[in-house]
Amino acid sequence: MKRQRGVQVIGWVLVVALIAGLQPLNNSVEYDRIVLGMKTPTPLTRMVDFDPTAITGVIMGAALGGFQGIAASMMWMKMEELWDSGHGTWLACLNVMRTVTLLDPHWLEPWKILGWHLAYNLYVETKDPALQAEYLRKGLDALKEGVSWNPNTYELYFELAWTYFDKVRDYEEATKWFAAAIQFPHPEFIERMIAHSYERMPDLDRALDWYDYCLKRNPNDRTARGAITTIRLRYLPAWRLMEEGKYDEAIKRIDQYLEVEPNSLIALHVKAHIYEEAGKDREAFDTWRLAARLSAMDHQARRKTNALAAKLGIQLTPQEQAPSYLLQQEGQRLQVPAHGR
Amino acid sequence: MHAIIRVAAATFHEAWRKRFLNVILIFAVLIIAFSWSLAYLQPGAELKLLIDIGLGTIRFFGMLIAIFLGVRLISDEIDKRTIHTILTKPVTRAQFLLGKFFGSLATVFCNLALMGIAFYVVFLIKAPGFLSSMSSSEATGPGFSTDFIYANIAKAIFLTFVEMTVVTALAVMASTLFSWIMAATFSFFIYFVGQMADFFKTLASPARGTGFTGQIVFNTIYGILPHFEVFDMREAILKGTYVGWDVLSKHLGLGLIYATVIMLISFLAFMNREV
Amino acid sequence: MGLRDLSIAVEEGTIFGLAGPNGSGKTTTLKLLLGLIYPTAGEGTVFGLPLGNPEYKRRIGFLPEGPYFYDHLNAVELLRFYGGLFGMAGKALNDRAEELLHMVGMWDRREIRVRDYSRGMLQRIGLAQALVNDPDLVFLDEPTAGLDPPAQIEMRALMQSLRAQGKTVFLCSHLLKEMEPLCDSVAILAQGIVRRMGSVGDLLAGESGRFQLQATGCQNISLQNLRDRALDLKVQGEELVLLFADQRSALAAAGEIAEGGGSIIELGAQTRSLEDVFIEAVAAGGTD
Repeated sequence: MKRQRGVQVIGWVLVVALIAGLQPLNNSVEYDRIVLGMKTPTPLTRMVDFDPTAITGVIMGAALGGFQGIAASMMWMKMEELWDSGHGTWLACLNVMRTVTLLDPHWLEPWKILGWHLAYNLYVETKDPALQAEYLRKGLDALKEGVSWNPNTYELYFELAWTYFDKVRDYEEATKWFAAAIQFPHPEFIERMIAHSYERMPDLDRALDWYDYCLKRNPNDRTARGAITTIRLRYLPAWRLMEEGKYDEAIKRIDQYLEVEPNSLIALHVKAHIYEEAGKDREAFDTWRLAARLSAMDHQARRKTNALAAKLGIQLTPQEQAPSYLLQQEGQRLQVPAHGR
Repeated sequence: MHAIIRVAAATFHEAWRKRFLNVILIFAVLIIAFSWSLAYLQPGAELKLLIDIGLGTIRFFGMLIAIFLGVRLISDEIDKRTIHTILTKPVTRAQFLLGKFFGSLATVFCNLALMGIAFYVVFLIKAPGFLSSMSSSEATGPGFSTDFIYANIAKAIFLTFVEMTVVTALAVMASTLFSWIMAATFSFFIYFVGQMADFFKTLASPARGTGFTGQIVFNTIYGILPHFEVFDMREAILKGTYVGWDVLSKHLGLGLIYATVIMLISFLAFMNREV
Repeated sequence: MGLRDLSIAVEEGTIFGLAGPNGSGKTTTLKLLLGLIYPTAGEGTVFGLPLGNPEYKRRIGFLPEGPYFYDHLNAVELLRFYGGLFGMAGKALNDRAEELLHMVGMWDRREIRVRDYSRGMLQRIGLAQALVNDPDLVFLDEPTAGLDPPAQIEMRALMQSLRAQGKTVFLCSHLLKEMEPLCDSVAILAQGIVRRMGSVGDLLAGESGRFQLQATGCQNISLQNLRDRALDLKVQGEELVLLFADQRSALAAAGEIAEGGGSIIELGAQTRSLEDVFIEAVAAGGTD
C-alpha cells in the first residue's frame, strides 16, 4: 500500500512536471504557426466581448471542429436565400453574415459583404442620423476586424479604404488604408486611388507624385495622364502661389477657375485650404460651407465646417451639423489593428 | 510486452466488429467520395470547399470514432467483468491499459488511413480542375502549385493522426474514470474546449482588463488544455503556406507528450481502481 | 464487504473451500488474493509473493462466477488469447488448447462463438482458460452454479483430478453439501470474519459423542424422565427425537422406552453436516 501511494505521488509530480515542461513547446508551436502563417491569431477585438452572437459563433465553431468551413459555406448559401427574399430580412442577413465571419474568419467574401451591407445598405435604410452613424461605424469596424484576421492580403484593406474614400470621405484615413493594401500583391488601380484621395484632400504634391508613379509604371494609363493635366492646369498654379506665401494671388488664381466651374468641389477644397494656410479662418469656413451645401455627400467639407464653426463660435443650422461619426478627432481614429500578441 | 500486444490485438479485433464504427467509417468515406459534387455550390471557391469537406470529415469522424471507441474500452471491461480473467493473468494494469490504448489507436489509425486515402484520391482527380478555375487573386500565394498543395494535404492528414492520438488517449482516460456516457460527454467537452484554447489566452489578456486572479485561472486552463486546434492545417493549405517537417515534428512531439500525460493520468486513476 | 483479521493458510495439493453466506466477504477475499483489489491494511502472500504481484499470477488460474469473455471469439481463439497473455504461442499453445477443449468437452463445439454459449458452455470454457497455463493453484468461484446435475458431477470430478495431479484448488462456494465430500479443509466466513477453519473431519467432529434416539409409541412413558436425561427432546407427531450427551444415558433411555411399551426406530451417534457447523458458526457470529 505504501508502495502504491509512492507511485501515486511520483506519478502526479510527473504529470505536473510534464505539463509545465510542455509549455515552451506549446508556445513554440503557437509561435511557428503565426510566424509561418499557418494560422492567424485571434484578434483582440469585439469578438471576445460577450456579444451573444459572437459567443454562439465561437461555441458553434468549436463544436463543429473541422466542419467550421463547411458550416460557413452552408450558412452563406442560406444568407443569399434570405437576401433574395427581400428588404425585410436585411437585419437577419446581418446576423447570419456575422456568424459566418466568426465561423470562417479567413473567408474574405463575407467580410466584404458584411462591411458593405452595414455601411451602404443599412445606412440608406434609415433616416435617423444617429442610426446611420452607428451602421457606418459598425461597417468600418467589421472591415477592420476582417483585416486583423486577414492581414496578408490587399483585399480587405482595400474595402476599408474604399469605404473611407467613397462613403465617409475621410481622405486621410482612406490614403492610409490604400497604402496598407499595396503592401501586398494587388491590382494596379489602387495606386491611382491613393492619388485620387490626395487630390481631394487636397495635397496636390502627393497627388501628383502618385499619378506620376502610375504613369511611369504604365505609360498608357490614361486616367493618370488626364488627372495630371487637370491638376497642372486647374489647381497647381494657385497651389504653388500658396506655397510661396502669396495667398491673395493664389485665391485670385483659383477663383479664375471657379468662375468657369463654380461647382468644382476639388477647386473649392483647394481654395478653402489656401484660406486655412493663410490663417483666414472665417473665409475658409465660408468656402467649406459652400462646398458642403453644394454636395450633401461631401462629408469632408461638413467636417471642416463644423470644426471651424466651433472655433469661430458660429451657430450652424441643424442640417449643417455633421453626424457624430464625422466629427471624430484624430486621436479617436483606429489605427491599423495590431494583430498578434 | 507480449501482454500489451495480445491485449492490443484483441482490442483491435473486437473494434472492427462494432457495427456503429463501421457505419461511421462508411458514411465518412461516402461524404468524402461525393465532396466534389458539393463543391459546385460555391462557385469560385470549389477548392476551398473540397478541402473543407475532405479534411473536415476526416477530423470530425476520426474524432467520433476515437471517442466512441475509447470511452467504452475500460468501463465495458469492468462492467462486463471480462477484465477479471485478464488481470488475473500475468498482466499488470499498466500493460492492460497500454494494450487497450494501442489497440484502439491502431483501429483509429486504420480508419483515418482509409478516409485519408479516399480524400487523396478525390483530390488528385478533382483538384487540378478547381485550381485552374480559381480567381487570380485567391491563387496568389506561392503554394498553389499542384505538387505543393498535394504535399500540404498529406501533412494535414499526418497532423490529424497526431491529433487523434491525443483524442484516443483522452477517451481512454475518461473511460477509466467514468461510465461510458459520462466519459463521452467529458471527452467531447474537453475536445471542444481544447479547440478554443486560444480563447482562454485571449480572456487572460490584461489588455482586456482581466484581473490578476482571472489571469491565473485562464492561463492555467490554457496551459493544461490540449490545444487541439494546432493540429488544424486547413488555413495553411488555403493560403498556400509551406509547412516544413521541422515544424510538423514539433507538433508530433506536442501530441506525443500530451498523449503520455493523459495516459499517465489514466494509469494513476486506474491503478487503485476496484475492478 | 470489509474484511477483518482475515488469516487463511492453504496447504498445497488440497482442495480448500471458502464458504459463507452472500455478503460475507468471499468475493472480496478472492479479489484480494487475485490482486483485483488491494488491502487497505495488512498484507498477504501467494506463493510467498505479495498480493497483486504479477509473478505469482503465472502459477494461478481463475474461474470467475458466471464468467464473461470477449464474445466475438470462439473457443479456440479464446484459449489462444489467454494463452498469449502467458507468452505462450505457436504449436505449444495450439496443442494445449486442444487438450483443454477435449478435457472440458468442448472440442466438438470449438467453432461456436462465445456470444452463443449456454451457461454450461461458459463454465466449461471458463475452466479451460483457468487451466491454460497449467497452474499450481486454481481459484474457482461457484464453479457448479447454473450447471445441470450431470455437469455438476463432471465438474467435481475435474476438481478431484486436479488435486490428484498435485494442484491446489481454492473453491469458493455457498453450496456446503458440495464442499463436504470434496474439500480437504474449509474456512467459514461471515461478516468479514473467519468463524471456523480446519479440515472437514475436524470441523464435523468438533462436538462429536452425541447420540440421537428416535422412538415411537411412547404414550405411556413420562416425558419428564426422559427430558431430565436428554440434552434435547422434540415431539414430532407420533415420534420422539431425543439427543443425549453420551452413549450410556442414551441406552438407559432406550431401555426405559422399551419397558414402557414404546418402540425404538433408530439409535445412533449423531451425524453433523457442514451445514450445521455453518449455521452454528454464523449464529455464533451474530452474538459477537
